[in-house]
Formats: sequence, C-alpha cells, structure tokens
Amino acid sequence: MLADRPPFEDLYRDYLGRIYAYVRAQVSSSADAEDITAQVFMNAYQAYGRFEARNTSPVAWLFRIARNATTDHFRAHGRRERLRRTIEHQPLAFDDPSRMAEERLQYRALLDHVARLPERQRDSIALRHSGLTFEEVGVLMSCTEDAAKMLYHRGLKALRYSVHKEGE
Amino acid sequence: MSEEEDLELLALQRQLDDAFQTTRPRPAFEDELWLRMQARRPIMTRLREGVAGLVGGIWEAPALPSGAIAIALIVLLGAGIFTLGRLHPGGAGSATSGLSNQDGAGKNFGPNVSPEYGPLPVPAFGTAPGPPQALDRQAVFQGPVTLTWTGHLDVSAASLPVFRYQEPAQSDADRFAASLGARPSTEAVQGGLGLYAGKDFTLVVIGTVAQPAREPSFNLSELKSISSPSADPLALATAYLSARHLMPTWPYQTEVQTTAGTVRVRFLRSFDVPSQGQVALVDGAGNRYGIEVDIATGGRGAFETGPLPMSLASAGYPIITPDQAVRSALASSAPPNGSPSYPAVRLTTAEIVYTLVWAGDHSFYEPAFLFSGTFTYQGTAYVKRVLVPAVDPSLLTH
Repeated sequence: MLADRPPFEDLYRDYLGRIYAYVRAQVSSSADAEDITAQVFMNAYQAYGRFEARNTSPVAWLFRIARNATTDHFRAHGRRERLRRTIEHQPLAFDDPSRMAEERLQYRALLDHVARLPERQRDSIALRHSGLTFEEVGVLMSCTEDAAKMLYHRGLKALRYSVHKEGE
Repeated sequence: MSEEEDLELLALQRQLDDAFQTTRPRPAFEDELWLRMQARRPIMTRLREGVAGLVGGIWEAPALPSGAIAIALIVLLGAGIFTLGRLHPGGAGSATSGLSNQDGAGKNFGPNVSPEYGPLPVPAFGTAPGPPQALDRQAVFQGPVTLTWTGHLDVSAASLPVFRYQEPAQSDADRFAASLGARPSTEAVQGGLGLYAGKDFTLVVIGTVAQPAREPSFNLSELKSISSPSADPLALATAYLSARHLMPTWPYQTEVQTTAGTVRVRFLRSFDVPSQGQVALVDGAGNRYGIEVDIATGGRGAFETGPLPMSLASAGYPIITPDQAVRSALASSAPPNGSPSYPAVRLTTAEIVYTLVWAGDHSFYEPAFLFSGTFTYQGTAYVKRVLVPAVDPSLLTH
C-alpha cells in the first residue's frame, strides 16, 4: 500500500457521511441517496486497486465518482422529476417520518433549495460545503479555481433569492 | 453589495455548513453497505487475506509446540473466515484506540469514584462537526502512520468526573430564546428545537447531533450593524456577547482568526476539573471549540454559534493509567510489517481533554487522552492526533 493511499477502510469511515450529504443535497429522497452512495462506494471499492494518488487525492477521486453517479441517476430517473419540481416550484416530498427521525436531518428545507439550483451552481455549492477547496472544486468541474469561486458565489446569491422568494 | 446582503450571505454559508455537516445516513446504513461490499469481494481474495492475517498473528504469538500450531491454524483459519464476513472498519469509532477490559483490572480507583451513570458509551473519534472551511485549521493527517511516543505524560489522578446533561426539550429552547428577547417564529425548523425572531436578530436552537457529536447549540444571526469604541475584534465580540447576555459561563480561552471580509472570535470551552485545572473540550478530531462569533468587516452584523447553556451533573469514573493510554495510542499505529513508506510520526505531547458522546435522551462529556505530534510529509506540515478514551474500559459499553 502506498503511503499516500490510505486503506480503503479509512476512506469509507471518513467519507461515507460526506458523500451521502453531497448526494442527498441533490436528490429527492434518502432512499435514492442511499442507493447512489452505495453505488459510489461499490465502484470505488472495486477500482481502488487501480487508483494512483499522483494524479489526484483520494478524496477528490471519491467525489468524482459520486458526481458521476449522481449525474447517471438523473439521466436514468431524475430528469422528469427535477423538471416538474422546477416548474411547479414545490418543495421536495419528504420521506416518511421514521426515516426523517433516523437521519436527524437539519436544514432539510435549505438543501431542497440547493437541489433546485442550476446544475453547476448546485454542484459548486455541494462540493464546497462537502469540504473541498475551490481548487479541487475547479478540477472536478473542469474549470479554473476562479471560475469555481464565481459559480459558487452566483449559486449562493441564487440560493438566497430562492429562500427569500419562498418566504414571501 | 449592501451590508445586509453581505450579512445574509454569511449567515447562509453557516447554515449550509450546518446542513451538510448534519445530513448523514441512518446509523445502520454504514454497516449494511460495508457487509454488501465485503460480500461482493472474490472468495479467494477474502481467504488469502484471512490467511495473511492469521500468519501475521502467529508471528507475534508466543512459541507453541508444532502440534498446537496446527490446531490453532485450523481454529483460527475458521475464525478468520468468520471474521471476514463481519469485518467492518468500525465507523468513526474505529479511530478510537482501545484497551481490553483487562487493562484496567486491579486499579486503585480512589475515594471519589461513583460511576453512578453505569457503563458509558464509547466516544466516536475521527470526525469533526465543525465547518469544513474553518479558518486556520491545522492540516490533520488522517492516513496510516507509524507512531512512537517521546513525550512525558504525568497524570496522577485515578479518577475523573464525567459530566452528563439531559437532552433539552422545546420548552427549554423557548425559555432560552425568551431570555434573549426572542419569540417563536411561525416557521418550523427541520430537525431543530425552534426558530425564533427577536429585534434585529434571528435564532435557531438545535438539539444534540449524534455524529459527529455536537451538543445542543444555538445559531444567532444579528441583522444590524454592531459597533464598539474599540476596533479590537475580541473586545467587539466580548461587548456583543455581554450585551446579549451570552458570555460563556464556563472557563474559556480566546482565539481570533481573520480572513477577507470576516473576523472570527472563538471562545474555546474548558471544564474546571479538580486536580487537573482547566481541561479543554475537543471534537472527535481533537479540535477545540466553543462559542464562535463571526463579525462581518467593519462590524456590519454578526453570526454567532455556540452550545446551549445547560446544567451539568457529574460523577467520578476510574481512568486508565498514563502507561495504558500510551500503549493504546501506539496501538493505532500502522502495522510494523506494512509499507516502509508510511510516515513516521513522533507523538510528543499529551493532555487530558473532554469529548462529547451522544447517548439519546442524555449525553456525556467524557475524559480522553489527546496525543499529538507534528511532522512534514511531501513538503507539507501536518499534525497527527490520537484520542484515547480515558475512562476505564470495564465501564465503557462495547
């Protein structure tokens, strides 16, 4: 095992929650978030033997897999739902109360607003608040660090507008 | 951008931090997924690793007659395969270095021990609930390292207090808000105890978060400019907290961090502990925390977050010896047979700290040993921390 490639168990333990939160900020139910998170770690587990740390950090690599898995999910299932939600401007349907209690979700409504942002703004906010630097966000989103900052700040303003609008 | 917009964006960023930090899967998900992943691994890989672990174990075992080794091989091979089926990194708790129950046996607990809360939950170390972009946070190394201990740990106490609080109800949050002059808002706050509005401020009160553990807390967004005769951020934050009657009632040290647009003043919490003096409170990653006041440049409003004032009860619990703590810390070192390229870290300092452990309708602040060492790896300076539960393992639930 290379020194800069921690055991997969460490990655799993340290990042399962953060990957879940990143995914959960974008999909409409905890069940979907669990499915996607499971797929992320299954894929990562199988591919970790081929991971080369000199190209990217394990964390950025994990988030890249999560980003791709979320995109795949929307391609397969979510396009219609997202479109409807945007048009109707309705809050996402909450899960059943027992699951809500289990997740102890805080600020669920705020994350629902995040989920309604344009894709790249949503992504920049979710990645940044999952603990990545703007440089890492830029690499993942195939743009410069400055462009990532700009996307993030535009997203933040759009989010504030969305929150205000619903409060009116 | 107006002052109000600046402030709103600042508050929104903090809310997003909290939202992402507190959104976690249901507790059983971690175990379920890990087992699914293990089940998908090729059987020969699992068997090979089981045998490798077995051989490693035999190298460290005392010499046995060859017949006994053969029997042990069969028994342990079976055990190894069985273990693989249940293999799990242990969640955040696996970062905890542990001692066997035997390590605390025969200890002289001293006269003030009254472990009246019964067995305590084991702290979950390795995760931090703080915002990911916390200012000036040291780069903490999470990967495998080989550890040595070159410091001196002198703790003569045979027992330490464990603090306990009852989980607050909505009525407690209402009383706290009322003491600040805030009234309940008509809006509900998801997962929180209450959302309140006062003159020029909003207040959110949240109950204990299980993991990463965070005690009941409040977030207060000041919507008007704050001013002080002093330009000193610490004086400004102190005056602000005093005016709101929110100055800490517990011992603290202060820290000021500055970035473009924001000054963060932190009042880092400690506990007064007989024979130990002031003992710091740390999160699961060993970071100190307490009340934080973010002040927008020029005093254009503030955002404050901190633990909800609560009354604590305490009971004495026996603790492990310094030697046991050191052994336990070193046990988290990477295996000696591992890659020689693991960074070698010398742990040079150790101190008693307190960490929060969630336990349902009541939670605990439990003592722990915090070991630290700094090192440079590939040109970057890191700190390595190891937290070891201080309470005698026989009084921890496993």
